[in-house]
Amino acid sequence: MIEVLNVRKSFGGNEVLKDVSFRVNDGDVIAILGPSGSGKTTLLRCLSFLETADGGRSVFNGKEYDLHKSSKKDIHEYRKHIGFVFQDYQLFGNKTALENVTEGLIVARRMKKEEAEEKGLRALEKVGMLDKRDFYPSKLSGGQQQRVAIARAMVSEPGVIFFDEPTSALDPELTGEVLDVMRKLAEDGTTMVVVTHEMEFARRVADRVILMEGGVIVEEDSSEVFFTAPKTERAKAFLEGIRGGKV
Amino acid sequence: MNERILQELIESFPKLVMTALKVTIPLTAISFTLGILIALLTALVQIAKIPVLKQLARFYVWIIRGTPMLVQLFVVYFGLPSIGITLSAFPSAIIVLSLSVGAYCSETIRGAIESVPKGQLEASYCVGMTFPQAMMRIIIPQAMTAAFPPLSNSLIGLVKDTSLAYSIAVVEIMAQAQRIAARSYDYFWLYLEAGLVYLIICTLLTWVQRAIERRMERKR
Repeated sequence: MIEVLNVRKSFGGNEVLKDVSFRVNDGDVIAILGPSGSGKTTLLRCLSFLETADGGRSVFNGKEYDLHKSSKKDIHEYRKHIGFVFQDYQLFGNKTALENVTEGLIVARRMKKEEAEEKGLRALEKVGMLDKRDFYPSKLSGGQQQRVAIARAMVSEPGVIFFDEPTSALDPELTGEVLDVMRKLAEDGTTMVVVTHEMEFARRVADRVILMEGGVIVEEDSSEVFFTAPKTERAKAFLEGIRGGKV
Repeated sequence: MNERILQELIESFPKLVMTALKVTIPLTAISFTLGILIALLTALVQIAKIPVLKQLARFYVWIIRGTPMLVQLFVVYFGLPSIGITLSAFPSAIIVLSLSVGAYCSETIRGAIESVPKGQLEASYCVGMTFPQAMMRIIIPQAMTAAFPPLSNSLIGLVKDTSLAYSIAVVEIMAQAQRIAARSYDYFWLYLEAGLVYLIICTLLTWVQRAIERRMERKR
């Protein structure tokens, strides 16, 4: 379980996150929605120490981490509990698909190569990329790269995987394969926090939805309530906008 | 060209090649290896933004790039003895050539490392790597692929720069050609022959560069 408490972050004078708190239970799939610039991505980046928050805490399995000032050692330990899937995949360009997945196990977790490869192959199988195990990222399509990136994030069985708009950089016909993999992960009980614009995914796969705007959470609901009977005017307007946009 | 000159060229060629093998190539190899190590360190302290070391690195690059190598050779070989540091010619040449390679290549390597997307470092962190691990395993290998052609250029440049060591009495190809020519006065032909020996070394290095580039291409 992760409890996120009072995250604040400004860039220059621009306050991107204003006191954001929420909780992620084990096995939860949370979709974070909201217009561009609402702070969704910054939130995930702060929670992974890719940005240093101005304030806030993340309580992970009872241990509290200060998002503003933690020691390198604590950050390093904390990161072993999380997985991160980037919008633009960021597979290691000098490593094959399998090496991308096993690298963290071998280098950071000091696992034996054979054991890591066994796990890596299982992870690649799960995302349907076993046959491309020896391919370098430059030889893979965007959707394939993202599936390898998901395998890389899940292979260490982290407590939570953060997805930062995992399908936004993909051609429309490639988003399906990535969303399918994510749905399978969710069904397996993986704890996931997903920043996304994919409403179908949020509605059908997520347990809960968080709507952000202007650096605050404006509504947090089960996904069923959010999509059928949103409480706030802002959420209604957001859903209106989406539906309007789709026609 | 008459028969006598031809005879002399044929006789002197093995001598020049031997000099290349014994002096020019070791001088190049040692200086380049040391230089690349210096370049990596210089680039890394700038990228990791380590205080003091970063300024020192900048200062070093500024001095070396801003002064002629001939001046540097003279300072080390003829100048340092006046403050009590006496080095023989070959080590002096190695010091100056490595420092020069280090300064120029540090900029090449720094640029190449900065050309690797920042997300690669973030992704390394997110699979649990530390900064040194990410650098050694992910960033630098990719940077080296990008830096390989300009670094090969520097190596080929270095082969020819070793001829400057002539000025501090290292008996390299130029000095050897000079010595042989001094007996027969066939300067024109012997200097051409010295040039040919350099040309052969550089051509071989170009072939090696191409072969390695083809192999790297297949891996990507």
